[in-house]
Amino acid sequence: MTKEEQRRRKKEQLKEQRRREREAWEAARGPLDLPFLLLALLLLAIGLIMLLSASFPSAQASRGSNYDPLYYFKRQSIFAAIGAAAMLWVGKINYQRFRGLAKMAMIVSVVLLVLVLIPGVGITRNHATRWLGIPGMAVGQFQPSEVAKMGIILYFADSIAKKREKMATFKEGIVPYLAILGVVAFLMYKEPHFSGMILLVGIGGMMMLVGGIHRNWIVLGVGAIALLTYALLFGNLLELLGGYNSGRIKTWLDPWWDPQGESWQMAQSLITIGSGGLMGVGLGKSRQKFMFLPEEHNDFIFAVVFEELGLVGATLIMVLFAFLIIRGYWIAINARDRFGSLLAVGVTTQIALQTFLNIAVVTGLIPATGISLPFFSYGGTALAIQLVEVGVVLSVSRQVPAPKAG
Amino acid sequence: MKNPKKQPDAVRQARRTIQFRTLTLLLVFGVASFAALFAKAYDLTIVQSGDLQKRAATQQTQSTTISASRGTIYDRNGNILAISATADTVFVDPNAVARRAAELDKKRAEKMAEGLKEGEALPMTGEAYKELIVTELSRILDISEETVRARMERTQSQYEILKKQVEKEVGDQVRSFITDNATGESIQGVHLQVDAKRYYPYSSVAAHVLGFLNSDSQGAYGLEAIYNEELEGSTGLVVTAKDATGSELMFQYEQYYDAEDGHSLQLTIDRYIQYRVEQGLEDMVAKFGAKNGATGIVMDVNTGGLLAIASSPTYDLMDHHAIYDEMLQAELAKTEEENPPAPGETRSEAYTDKLGELQLRQWRNKAVNDTYEPGSTAKILTLSMALEEGTVNLNSTFNCTGSITIADYDLGCSNRNGHGHQTLKEAVGNSCNPAFVNIGLSVGLERFYDYMEAFGLMSPTGVDLQGDVGGIFAARERFTTLDLACYAFGQNYNITPLQIITAQAACINGGYLRQPYVVEKELDGDGNVVKQHDSTPIRQVISEETSATVRELLEYVVSGGTGRNGQVAGYRVGGKTGTADKSGTKDPITNPQGDIVVSFLCFAPADDPQIIMLLTLDTPRRDTGTYPSGGNMVAPTASAIMADILPLLGIAPQYTEDQLSSVESTVPYVVDMDEAGAAAKLAEYGFDSYRKVGEGTEVTDQAPAGGAIVPVSAEIILYMGAEKSTELAVVPNVVGMTPAETNRALVNAGLILKSTGAAGESGIKAISQSIPPESQVAQGTVVTVQMGQTSSIAD
Repeated sequence: MTKEEQRRRKKEQLKEQRRREREAWEAARGPLDLPFLLLALLLLAIGLIMLLSASFPSAQASRGSNYDPLYYFKRQSIFAAIGAAAMLWVGKINYQRFRGLAKMAMIVSVVLLVLVLIPGVGITRNHATRWLGIPGMAVGQFQPSEVAKMGIILYFADSIAKKREKMATFKEGIVPYLAILGVVAFLMYKEPHFSGMILLVGIGGMMMLVGGIHRNWIVLGVGAIALLTYALLFGNLLELLGGYNSGRIKTWLDPWWDPQGESWQMAQSLITIGSGGLMGVGLGKSRQKFMFLPEEHNDFIFAVVFEELGLVGATLIMVLFAFLIIRGYWIAINARDRFGSLLAVGVTTQIALQTFLNIAVVTGLIPATGISLPFFSYGGTALAIQLVEVGVVLSVSRQVPAPKAG
Repeated sequence: MKNPKKQPDAVRQARRTIQFRTLTLLLVFGVASFAALFAKAYDLTIVQSGDLQKRAATQQTQSTTISASRGTIYDRNGNILAISATADTVFVDPNAVARRAAELDKKRAEKMAEGLKEGEALPMTGEAYKELIVTELSRILDISEETVRARMERTQSQYEILKKQVEKEVGDQVRSFITDNATGESIQGVHLQVDAKRYYPYSSVAAHVLGFLNSDSQGAYGLEAIYNEELEGSTGLVVTAKDATGSELMFQYEQYYDAEDGHSLQLTIDRYIQYRVEQGLEDMVAKFGAKNGATGIVMDVNTGGLLAIASSPTYDLMDHHAIYDEMLQAELAKTEEENPPAPGETRSEAYTDKLGELQLRQWRNKAVNDTYEPGSTAKILTLSMALEEGTVNLNSTFNCTGSITIADYDLGCSNRNGHGHQTLKEAVGNSCNPAFVNIGLSVGLERFYDYMEAFGLMSPTGVDLQGDVGGIFAARERFTTLDLACYAFGQNYNITPLQIITAQAACINGGYLRQPYVVEKELDGDGNVVKQHDSTPIRQVISEETSATVRELLEYVVSGGTGRNGQVAGYRVGGKTGTADKSGTKDPITNPQGDIVVSFLCFAPADDPQIIMLLTLDTPRRDTGTYPSGGNMVAPTASAIMADILPLLGIAPQYTEDQLSSVESTVPYVVDMDEAGAAAKLAEYGFDSYRKVGEGTEVTDQAPAGGAIVPVSAEIILYMGAEKSTELAVVPNVVGMTPAETNRALVNAGLILKSTGAAGESGIKAISQSIPPESQVAQGTVVTVQMGQTSSIAD
C-alpha cells in the first residue's frame, strides 16, 4: 500500500465518517419547536418595545446616556439581534455536542467567579462586585453569574443524565452537586450577589430534583427552604449575616414606612402599578417613568408595563411567559433523552424563576431582590445569553420524537 | 451477570421519574406561581388602585395659579374703600445668578488668554456681577445688602423672594435695571412676579368693617374674611405633569381653569358718616380717658342698613400690625420701658406678648363682638312693650322715693332724693329707675321675656360682620321678679351695642325689627348686581301707634329730659341717655363706685325717623370734671355728629325761632356801598347787626369778607375809611360760659360764634370750642361752640 493510497483511504474514511455522522444527525432532526420559538420571539419583541417606552425619559435626562432617548433601546436591540441569531444557530446544533463543553463550562464559570472577587479585576457598583470587563467601558461588561448559570445547567444536565438510578444515592446524587452549588454560592455571597445565588441554587436544585434524587432529600430540601425563608423574613438572619439587606423586610411588610427614603423604590413601584388600573394609561404614557420609579428600565420595568398596559396587558404578557415555561417543560418531558430533558428543565426553570421572582418583587409579593426580567430588563449580555439558552432548548426540541401516526 | 431485562426497567423508571417531576415543576412554575402573581396584581391594580392613583396624582402634578383680581369694596355712594392694584414681587434665582457669574469668569479668562482686540473690554468678574445685583437691588428695594447677599448665597434654590408686593414704580425700576445696566447685557436670575396688593384709600376708616388680608392675600378679618370667597373670585389654575425633579412635562397633560374676577361689594356704610363717628369716638375717648374704648353705630331705621359702625381703639388698614391708637401706643411704650430686651435680642418677650395682645384689641370690632349691660337706653324697650300691652299709658303716674325694694333688694334711683310724683312722660324724661321697675313688673315675667326674644336680643343679629354674638340672659325658667326689675332698666343682662340699636330701631320705626347689614349689593366683574340685600322686616314687634307714642316720649327726653345735650339745631331729635354699672367691677378700696359704660341713643327726625345712632363709651374716668353720665359725656358728641351728618343725608333743618340765630348765611359783598345800602344788603342776607369803624361815608372794607359763611347772628364789621385791623385775634376760653357770655367774649375778641347743641334753655353752657384757647387767628374767624348742660344729668 503506497503512501498515496493510504492517504486517500484515510481521506475517504474520514469523509465516510462525516457523512454517517451527518446522516445520523439528519435522521434524528425534526423541526424547531415552533410554539416555543414564537413565544420567545414575541416576548423579545414586546420586551424591546417596553424597554424603549420605559427607558427614554431617563435616557433623555442623563449624561451617562448622552441625552439620547434611544440610547438603551439601540444597545438592547443590537444584543437582541445578535442573541436571536445565536439562538437560531445554537438551535441547529445537535445538543449532544454540548456534552463535551459541560466540564469546561463549569470550570470557566468558577474561574470567572473567582476572578471577579480579585480586587482590581471585578467592577464594583452599589457596593457589589459583580461585573467583569474593561473598566470604564460600558460595552462588553458582563456578570460571571450569568455565565455560571449556563455552566451549572450544562454540567448538571450532563452529569445527572449519566447517573440514572445512582442519583437516588446520597454519595452520587447529592454530594457532588451540593458541593458545586456550595462553592458557587459562597463565591457569589462574597460579591455579594444574593439574588444570583438564589437563582443558581434554585436552578441546580430543580435539576437534581428532576434528575431523580431520593424522595427524602426532596422533603428535606423543601423543609430547609421553608426554614431558611422563615429565618430570612422573621428571624433577622440577614442582619446577622452583615445587615446587607436590612430594611428590605421592613419595606416588604410596609411599603409606606419611609416613602421618601428607604422604601421609596417599593412605594414608587406600587404607585406605578396601581396607576395602571384595569386598562392602563396607554403605551408610552407612563408618568412614573419620569424619574419617579427607579430602575424603571431594569428590574422594575414590569411596573411600567402595569402602568401603561394595565392589569389586562400585564396579564397577557404573564400568560405568554406561562406558556413559554409550560412549553419548555413540555419539551423536557418529551425530550429524546435524559440529557435533553435536563437541559430543557434547567433553562426553563431559570426563565421561570427569574420571571416569578422579578414580578413578585415588583408587585411587593416578596421582599426586594435584584432579579432582572427575561427579555424585558435592560442588559445586553444577559439578554444574549438568555437567547442562547432558548436556542439550547430549541435544539432539544428538534429531537423530540414525532408522535406516531395512528 | 447482567439481567438484560433489568436495564430497560431502570431506564423506564428513571424516565417516568423525570417526566413526573418535570410535570410537577410545570404546574408549580407555569401555573401556580402565575396565579399568585395575578392575585397580587389584581389587588394592586383594581382593589388598591384608587388610593395608589391618588398618590400618583399628588406627586406627578403641579399647579400654577393665575390670580383673579380681587373685588373692590365701595361705600354707599360709590367711594372706594378697598381696592386691589397690581404690585410686583421681586425674587432672585440664586442658581441662575451663580451660573451666570461662573460664565462671566470663564469668558473673562478666555478673553485674557487670547488677548483683547482694540476697543474691547474685559467682561466683568462673576464677583462684580453679583455685587452689582446686590447693590442695585438693595438700593431700589430699600432692603439691606446683607439680606440680598444672604438670599443669593442659597444657590441650590431657584426662588428666593426679596420683597413682596412692591409698588409698580419700584417694580419698574427693577425691570429697567434688568434690561439696562452696567453689564451691557440683561441681568440673569432676577425676576418679577406680578400679583395684587390691597389698598385702603381711607386707611383707618371703617377698619373693623373692612378687615384686612393675610400675607397669602386671603381675607383675615372683617368683610375681607367673611366675603373672601366672593371677593377673591376663582383663581385660575394650570395643572401640569411634572417629573420627580419637578420639571414640567410639556407633552403630558395640561388642564386649564380660567380665572374669574372676584365680585365687588357695595356697602351701606357712608364713608363720611363713618369717618365722622370715628372722629367723635376718638375725641370722647381722649377727653374722658375711656379705658376700654368706645363704639358708635348709625343705622338707617327703615332698612337696617348700617351707615357707620365704629369701634375704638381702631387701626390703620394699610399697616394693620402697627399700634395705631395713642393710648395703646403709650401702653406698649410703657411695657417696653419696663421690660428691656435681653442682651442680643431686639425685643423682650413681654413686649412681643403685649404687642400681640394690643393688636388683637385694636382689631376687635367691639360694637359687634363685645357685650355690655346697656343701662337706661334699654328703658326704651321696657316702655315700648308696656305701652304695646297697655299696662301703662300716657296717663299713668308713678311715685319715686329714691329707691324701690324688690325681693328684699333695694334698687336705687339715680336721684337719691326721689323724683316724687311723675307722669309717664316725666318718668321717661327723668330716666327714673323705680318707675321703670314698676313699668316692667306691669308687663309680667312671661311677656317681658317674650318681648326680649321678639326684639332679637337672645340671638345674634345676623349682621354680615365677623363675630356677631348674641346676648347673655337668665334662662327663662330661672327668670325671677328681681331679674325682671333689673332688666327693666337695662342691668344684669349683656348684649352687644348692635343688638340693642337694632331693637331700639324697631321701637321707633313703627315696630319693625330688621336685620342689620352692611353689604347692600354684590356686583360681578361687569358691574351686574349678583345679590341685593332684602330689607324685609323680620317681624313687627310693636304697633305703629305704640311706636309713635315712644317717639313722642323720647323726643321729650332730648327736649326736656336727661338728653338735652343731644339737641341739634334745626332738627327734632329723640333719644335716651344711659349710664350702666359694670357688674363685678366694684372694689371697696380701689374702685368704690365701680366702672360704668355711658351711652346715648338718638334718632332724627323725631316725628319721622330716618337714622338712629348709638354711642357708647366704656369705662370713662370719673375725675375729668364732667359728671360721668351718658347725658353729659356722650350726648354732646352725638349732637355734633348728628348736626354734621343729617344735612348730608338730605334731611333739611327746620329752625325754631330760637335756633334761627345760629342759622348761617353767606356774607354779601358790600364794599363801596354807603351805610344804608350796605345795611339793606346785609339784612337781605339775614344779617341784622353790624358795627361801623371809622367816620367815612362809604364802606372801604368789611369783616368777614364777602362770601364767608357765618351765622346770621354775627356782627358784621364795616370799615368806613378806617384801616382794617391786621392784628390777629386771640381766641378766648369760653368753656363754661353761658351762651350770652360766650357770644360777648368772642365778639370782643373779633371773632364770630357759631353755637351748636342745646339752645334756648336755662342752665346750658359752652361745653367745647372748635379752636383751642389762646390760638391766634384772623379776625372774623368763626368759632364753633358746643352748648349743653354741664350740671350733672343723672341718667
